[in-house]
Amino acid sequence: MAKLYVQTTQPTDLNKNTEWFMYPGVWTTYILILFFSWLLVLSVFGCTPGMAWTIINLSHFIITYQFFHWKKGTPFAEDQGIYNALTWWEQMDNGKQLTKNRKFLTVVPVVLYLIASHTTDYQQPMLLLNTLAVIVLVVAKFPNMHKVRIFGING
Amino acid sequence: MVRLPYTTALTTLFSYGLLFVFGQLRDQFRKILDLFKSSSLKEKGYAPICLGLEDFYTRRLYLRIQDCFSRPISSAPDAWFDVVERQSNDGNKTLYRTGKSTRCLNLGSYNYLGFASADEYCTPRVINSLKKYSPSTCSVRVDGGTTKLHEELEDLIAKYVGQPAAVCFGMGYVTNSAIIPVLIGKGGLIISDSLNHSSIINGARGSGATVRVFQHNTPSHLEEVLREQISEGQPRTHRPWKKIIVIVEGIYSMEGELCKLPEIVAVCKKYKAYTYLDEAHSIGAIGKSGRGLCELLGVNPTDIDIMMGTFTKSFGSCGGYIAASKEIIEYLMYTCPAHLYATSMSPPAVEQVISAIKVVLGEDGSNRGAIKLLQIRENSNFFRSELQKMGFEVLGDNDSPVMPIMLYNPAKIPSFSRECLENNVAIVTVAFPATPLLLARARICISASHTRVDLIKALEVISRVGEDVGIKYFPVEPMKPQLQPQPQVENIPGFQH
Repeated sequence: MAKLYVQTTQPTDLNKNTEWFMYPGVWTTYILILFFSWLLVLSVFGCTPGMAWTIINLSHFIITYQFFHWKKGTPFAEDQGIYNALTWWEQMDNGKQLTKNRKFLTVVPVVLYLIASHTTDYQQPMLLLNTLAVIVLVVAKFPNMHKVRIFGING
Repeated sequence: MVRLPYTTALTTLFSYGLLFVFGQLRDQFRKILDLFKSSSLKEKGYAPICLGLEDFYTRRLYLRIQDCFSRPISSAPDAWFDVVERQSNDGNKTLYRTGKSTRCLNLGSYNYLGFASADEYCTPRVINSLKKYSPSTCSVRVDGGTTKLHEELEDLIAKYVGQPAAVCFGMGYVTNSAIIPVLIGKGGLIISDSLNHSSIINGARGSGATVRVFQHNTPSHLEEVLREQISEGQPRTHRPWKKIIVIVEGIYSMEGELCKLPEIVAVCKKYKAYTYLDEAHSIGAIGKSGRGLCELLGVNPTDIDIMMGTFTKSFGSCGGYIAASKEIIEYLMYTCPAHLYATSMSPPAVEQVISAIKVVLGEDGSNRGAIKLLQIRENSNFFRSELQKMGFEVLGDNDSPVMPIMLYNPAKIPSFSRECLENNVAIVTVAFPATPLLLARARICISASHTRVDLIKALEVISRVGEDVGIKYFPVEPMKPQLQPQPQVENIPGFQH
C-alpha cells in the first residue's frame, strides 16, 4: 500500500499540554480508539451491541469529564504553573472559543449519544443515563461556561 | 515542515495515549497503596513539595527511559569518548554506575570545530594562562574580575563578528536570560520565533514585555504579526509600543535549519523593529571563515542590532557574548546584572576562546582553521545526503552541522538509543517537552574532528539500527557503484581561506 504522507508545521501554541491536539491524525485516532474499545467491550462482556455502546458512552463521559473538565494544570513543571487554574478544555487553543477542534470535541459526545440510544431502542434505564451524560458534557463545553465554576466546585 | 506517514501519526498518538493510561493507572494504585502508609511530614502539617499531577510526565514517562538521557562520560568529548555504563535494578527508577566504560563514537557533543579535546595551539596557551591568572577571577567584572584577557577577548570577538563592540559573560544561558530584561521592559513587545531556545523564552518572560510568537522561520507571518501588533498597540491602553524586538536564532538546535535572515531583517527594517540574533550554534560553524549566519547568507552584520553567541559550541570553552554598537554595549555594562553581579568568565576559558579564534582566522600561522571549516562543511553535507539516501527523514538545511533524524513513536526513542549504544555509537535522542509531542527525534551533531572512516562507520550502524527500529520512512535510493574513498584533506599547498 502506498504510504500517505501528511505535512505539518509546528503550531504556534506555547502550551505544550494542548499543542499535541493540533497535529494531523488526532481526530482519526480519537474515533478509532472509540471504535476499537467498542469492539473490545463486545468481545469481553459478550453483551448486545446497544449495551456495549452505552458502556462506551458512559465511560467516555467519565474519562473525558475527568481529564478535560476536572483536572486542572499541566502534567509537567516547565511552565511553572501558569495554567494551574485552568482545565484542559479552557487551555485548548489558548482560550479561543468555537475553533474547529472544540467543535469536533463537542460533536463527538452527541454522535455517541445518538448511536447509543438508537442501538438500545430508546429503552429506559440506558436512555436516562445516556441523556444525562450528553447534557453534562455538552453544557461543559459551551463558550459561556469558560472559567465558570458552579457553586465554586473545583475552584 | 515535516512530512510523516499518516499511519505513523496515528500510531504515535495511540502510543502516547496508552502510556498516559498506564501512567494514570499506576498513579491510582500508588494512591491506594499510599493510603495505608503515613507520612510524618504530612502529619506535621507540611504541604507536599509538588502537586501530584505536575510531575506526572517525569515520573511515568521520562523515568521509564531514563537510561537514554544524562549518560555520564569519563573522557574529553572528542570524536571518540568513553561513556560510563549504568545499570538499574528497579526498572530504571534509579541507576548506578557499574564502573566500566565503553569507547563510543561521539555524535552528540557540540564540538563543531574539534576544539573539545587537547589542541596543539590552544592547550599550551590555556595552561599558561591558568598558571598566570588562576582558575577563577573570584570577582565580578566591575570589581576586580576584568583581566587583560577579558578585554582582548571582547575586542577580538567584536572584530570577528563584525560589530563595533562586544561584552562577554560566564554562561551562555545567562547571557540571554539576563540581557533581554535589560533591553526591554513593560510596554515593549517581543516577537520571537516559535521554536526559540528556552533561555530566550526565560528572558522574554522575565522582562515583563508582551511576548508574541510567529510561525517558525516564516517572514510573511512575522510581517502579519508585526502589522497586527503595531496597529493594535499595547494591550488595553492601545498606546503605541515603546520598543519592538524580534528575536531569531541562527541555527535552530532542534531542527538544524538556518534562519531566513535576509527576509526577516528586511521585514524588521520596514516596520522599524529591532533584531536580536542568537548565534549559539552558528558562530564558528558556518560561513566561509566561520563568522556565522551573516557571512553565509550575505547579510551585513551592522544591519542586525544585537548579535548574541556562545563559546560553548564551536570554540570549546564556556560562556556567551553580546556584540552590538558601542552605545548598547556601554549601556549593558552598567545595567546588566550578569555583568554587575555575576562572576566573570574564567581566565583559562577566555584564553581558550582567544586561541580558538586565532586558529580559525589563521593567525596562528597555519591553515588548520581553514581545514577545520572545510572539514565540517564537507562532513555535514556528506552525512546528511547519505542519511537521506538511506530513507531517513533528516531535517535541516545543507551546510548545517546539526541533523535531527525523526523517530516519532515514543517506543523508538529508547530502542534506537540503546541499540546504537550497543554498537558503540553514542547518539542523543530528544523527546517531549524539548520537542513537540509527536516529533521525537535523534539529533546528530557533526564535528570537524570526525574522519571519513568514523562517518562511514556511523552510517552503517545507523542504517542497520534504523532498519530494525523501523524509522526509514522515505523510500530508499538505490545504491550507485562506489568510487574509492577520497584521501583525507591534508595540508594542500597554496590553500588559503
